[in-house]
Amino acid sequence: MPVFNFFHWSEKLGRTLNETGPLVSVEIAIPTALKQHLSEKGIAIPPAVSGFALVDTGAFATAVDESVFVSLGVSHIDEITTDTAHGPATSKVFPANVTFPGMNVTDMPMERVVGSKLKWKTRDEKEIIMLMGRDLLQYFLLVYNGPSSDVTLCY
Amino acid sequence: MALEKELALFAKMKPDLLKNHEGKFALIHGEEFLGTYDSAENAYAEGVKRFGREAFLVKKVSQQEEVYRNQALSLGLMHARL
Repeated sequence: MPVFNFFHWSEKLGRTLNETGPLVSVEIAIPTALKQHLSEKGIAIPPAVSGFALVDTGAFATAVDESVFVSLGVSHIDEITTDTAHGPATSKVFPANVTFPGMNVTDMPMERVVGSKLKWKTRDEKEIIMLMGRDLLQYFLLVYNGPSSDVTLCY
Repeated sequence: MALEKELALFAKMKPDLLKNHEGKFALIHGEEFLGTYDSAENAYAEGVKRFGREAFLVKKVSQQEEVYRNQALSLGLMHARL
């Protein structure tokens, strides 16, 4: 099981893990079936969208900012109920391929990702586009080391 | 929202689908039910093959409806600074 360490530090802010939470770089791409369809039709394949994923042990499913799917031209395939502070709402469900470049995880198919409005930038300019929920974390071993401001993930 | 027709048809068909297709994924386009598949991936691949980028529904046939819960996100605490 390969082990990957992510030290959370910036020149401007010093140790950042406490402020940002555990972040890993991520790329969201169109699903393989759509990629094949576009290739066969001679249609240009939209480039993957890059950003950061926040490891979120409190989320049962992975969520991605909806603007990512607009950029990729991927339509939603389902709608589900979401519990919010203001009561139940409806969220769209999208398929995607997910790559974690820092962990050699490439084009992992995810058929059900929740679309949400979650994009924000940390003070060290990292744009968060994904909340990595327990549907993905079930395949990882996670160590959160607060004192040394680093996170270890094994896949 | 798109998928209104598809979701309405799924709701109508759900009692029958639960009898023989529980745990599978239904594929619906407009008012047409295309069938059920063993995985969401297979249902999606079939949908793309038939309809390309058009909207279609891939929904799990299940007694319990999926509900997304993320307390920190819903309470606006994802990037709160105290």
